[in-house]
Amino acid sequence: MVEAVAGSLPEPRRAAFRGFRDDAGELLDEGLLLWFPGPGSYTGEDVAEFQGHGGPVVMDRLLRRFTGLGARLARPGEFSERAFVNGRLDLSQAEAIADLIAAGSDAGARAAMASLQGAFSREVHALVDALVELRVYVESAIDFPDEEIDFLSDGEVVGRLRDVRERLRAVQRTAGQGRVLRDGMTVVIAGRPNAGKSSLLNALAGEDTAIVTAVAGTTRDLLREHVQIDGMPLHVVDTAGLRDSDEEVEQEGIRRAWTAIAGADRVLVVADDRQGPTEEDVRILAQLPAKLPVTVIRNKADLSGTATGFIDDPERPTVILSALTGAGVDALCDHLKACMGFTAGEGTFTARRRHLDALERAAAMLDRAVQQLDQGAGELVAEDLRGAQEALGEITGAFTTEDLLGAIFSTFCIGK
Amino acid sequence: MDYPERFDVIVVGGGHAGTEAALAAARTGAATLLLTHSIETIGQMSCNPAIGGIGKGHLMREIDALGGAMARATDRGGIQFRTLNARKGPAVRATRAQADRTLYKAAIRSLVENQPGLTVFQQGVDDLLLDGEQVRGVITQMGLRFHAPSVVMTVGTFLGGRIHIGDNQHQGGRAGDPPANALAEKLRARPFRVGRLKTGTPPRLDGRTVDFTRLAEQPGDDPAPVASFMGSRAEHPAQVSCWITHTNERTHEIIRGALDRSPMFSGDIDGVGPRYCPSVEDKVVRFADKSAHQIFLEPEGLDTHEVYPNGISTSLPFDVQLELVRSCAGLEKAHITRPGYAIEYDFFDPRDLRPSLETRYIAGLYFAGQINGTTGYEEAAAQGLIAGLNAARGVRGEAPWTPGRDQAYIGVLIDDLTTRGALEPYRMFTSRAEYRLLLREDNADLRLTPVGRELGLIDDARWTAFERKRDAIEREQRRLAATLVRPGDVDDAVGQRILGGPLRREQYMDALLRRPELGYRDVMALAADAGGVDDPAVAEQLEIQAKYAGYLDRQREEVERTRRYEETAIPDDVDYDAVAGLSTEVRQKLASHRPATLGQASRIEGVTPAAVSLLLVHLRRGDQPAHRRSA
Repeated sequence: MVEAVAGSLPEPRRAAFRGFRDDAGELLDEGLLLWFPGPGSYTGEDVAEFQGHGGPVVMDRLLRRFTGLGARLARPGEFSERAFVNGRLDLSQAEAIADLIAAGSDAGARAAMASLQGAFSREVHALVDALVELRVYVESAIDFPDEEIDFLSDGEVVGRLRDVRERLRAVQRTAGQGRVLRDGMTVVIAGRPNAGKSSLLNALAGEDTAIVTAVAGTTRDLLREHVQIDGMPLHVVDTAGLRDSDEEVEQEGIRRAWTAIAGADRVLVVADDRQGPTEEDVRILAQLPAKLPVTVIRNKADLSGTATGFIDDPERPTVILSALTGAGVDALCDHLKACMGFTAGEGTFTARRRHLDALERAAAMLDRAVQQLDQGAGELVAEDLRGAQEALGEITGAFTTEDLLGAIFSTFCIGK
Repeated sequence: MDYPERFDVIVVGGGHAGTEAALAAARTGAATLLLTHSIETIGQMSCNPAIGGIGKGHLMREIDALGGAMARATDRGGIQFRTLNARKGPAVRATRAQADRTLYKAAIRSLVENQPGLTVFQQGVDDLLLDGEQVRGVITQMGLRFHAPSVVMTVGTFLGGRIHIGDNQHQGGRAGDPPANALAEKLRARPFRVGRLKTGTPPRLDGRTVDFTRLAEQPGDDPAPVASFMGSRAEHPAQVSCWITHTNERTHEIIRGALDRSPMFSGDIDGVGPRYCPSVEDKVVRFADKSAHQIFLEPEGLDTHEVYPNGISTSLPFDVQLELVRSCAGLEKAHITRPGYAIEYDFFDPRDLRPSLETRYIAGLYFAGQINGTTGYEEAAAQGLIAGLNAARGVRGEAPWTPGRDQAYIGVLIDDLTTRGALEPYRMFTSRAEYRLLLREDNADLRLTPVGRELGLIDDARWTAFERKRDAIEREQRRLAATLVRPGDVDDAVGQRILGGPLRREQYMDALLRRPELGYRDVMALAADAGGVDDPAVAEQLEIQAKYAGYLDRQREEVERTRRYEETAIPDDVDYDAVAGLSTEVRQKLASHRPATLGQASRIEGVTPAAVSLLLVHLRRGDQPAHRRSA
């Protein structure tokens, strides 16, 4: 595994500079590689330590690379546990291990909870329910062949299986974090002319990308900027001010602005804090697509004198800032990170990585189940469904065979 | 009086658990006594006259692979053989046989009577002989004392048995047999946790009063599958068909109108019945929208007209039974030969057993069969075999043996029972086995016969036959992996027929066999002079192992991952309060379930992976003598 990623093993216990590559040989990151062959390592087993550049995106790619090669994420305290079990820790150190495992599992659980809230949780649970229902059909067809419920041979299972697979894809999409992690979130800056949209882009980008003047309608076309916030990629799109205009070029810019908005993950609607919400601001907000997340930016706080910061209104999160002085821009960055799911630090990141990993494995199993169903091997379909459920069980909690049998007996009248 | 001879192992009960226990103990060389209240009922099928089925057929093959009697008796008593799930894949494929009760019983009795080292005595047992917490033998109803350091209890539904027919109740262990109440009292006085379960049977019918012309026929498979590795089709007696009819709306009305007279619904029965084998009144109430339920009319034997209508187990009063039976197609004039009944009985919480099936409270005392909360002949026989084996090993001071969940359904069964207990009568299903693809009927011999041989359960004849098959498989596997088929070897017409065209490039035979569409015979037919084996059982193994290789490897990897936990034993005297970091809930769960290994602990509901890690750390700490604190 180490060789696949980093080319070759370095000399034991010597740091070596290496490129870390994906399966196509593309460079993912560069960094230090340390190789500790067992038993001369912390855990007593072979240990490789990769020191990369950090940042969630790069880290995520590396982790995906390793899980793709068959690795799994360690449980909380697992390294220490292994070290202890392999006799690498003395007894006084061992006293601390139990506390570490207990504390780690609490922290892990909290992080998992934080990552498992809202729509994602609901969708995963609904998906698991659908999968259970499907398994009930398949397993009862297997365990009760005399019961006139042979769903494997009728179309029922095919339809349900395809349905579950679609739903899983939808969960992966809406969980969205996978894509956001890889590709970054697209944020469109919109608002009426001269509210300070381009200044905001510049504040986020940290350089003069957009031409900023006091003349309304300066930005005629879309300006795109790729921004990193603490390693999180962000595509920021600055748009033409949204107003009725007779000028053809400006009209075209406004049309493009609406197209950009349609493809956005989030819209920042910039308003001038001195004027309060104007009629135009209200109209723009009303015109935005209903499901599109929106953050209101009350700009020019340096002129209005309002205290900068974030107002955590779930209906309409709002940031008060000054794009010109930079005051309050930190609050916006924190808010955007939170939107991408990176609030609670490393714990949440790993928890989410686990979830995405579980979803990916479940998806692979379901794909194979579809193939197996085509070839008619009922027990292999059942095996892949079991695997998919076990993967999802890592997110929602275990589902035992007793649970499955209970579901079977309450669904069908079984028994001679 | 004290019986003059001493025994190594005493088995109480001559049912499916008792006979396998006694036979297994004797096979390993233990001087064994089988005590039964009636020699006539040794090997009796108290419920429906069938052996095998999904999950159960797997158990039967495993018992057979360990040298047991069940499959051998099935080949001699089976009057209709079928392979269920034939098209759903080899792992869930299962053998089921209708058995002639008399022939089956005779076959079992003959195996028992001819087993060297096994003695039979007819007498009910009233009490155990104990020396502190160690069993020393048993006392029979007439006060006879038999001495042995190991006793296996296989008393089925006879402990505190109570039979219900409508509002009519009486004590009984089975229709026509007395219960074992004195023994039940004595055992209840020990610290075992006792529960109450319920099961039922349908009324039996006189086949001469059934109009078979109105029923759907269900013939056996032709050729019939063979149950035992050592069996053959030539042993099978004459073969007959089963018949299928259905209940209907009128049947359901009759039942609904009489529910107030059903002990199931009037509150007379406290025992918990199985969800997968509900009484017909239960079916009608719980699945009210279903307008018909199947009834399988199973012949009881070749020399009797009695028919077992499988699917209408009931404890309704007799007049209702008669009316509901006669409302079904073909049964309009049916005569009931014996009324159906429900039976409630005591069982002992199997969490008080070790995986060897020895009780935790009395050394040398083993429980097997329905006493542990299971249902089914195969489940009983499987436990009997393991209990008898371990009873004999215990006497010789040898370590007990129980297969793992990855090794056998027997392992799944015993692990489920001793880890989770029984909330309803426990029956085997293939969905209970996480390593289902590894645990197939077709490889039961390969999985278990070698270890059975080491344990002393396998005689020379079976071992020789087994080695022949195993060697043939291995030899042929090596040949397939080393033999190339070249495009030039394949005749055009043959290629067209088997591959749908010419072979495009040279390939090893095992690679060809991995193609989903090619069977072993196809691969052999591709090239002239390809050779190959004739034994269909060998060819089947080659095919399955080639085609399922990916899935089987994955399951084996899964097994390997959990091995460390499965192999870490938890001592009996572990103090869960002393394990740092466990929540109170987990502590209580562990204390009440008393898992034998970390693997078992991890399967208890509510025990988290972190809790298992904490337990592991605690156990390893105990290993290190430097850490021993003053007590």
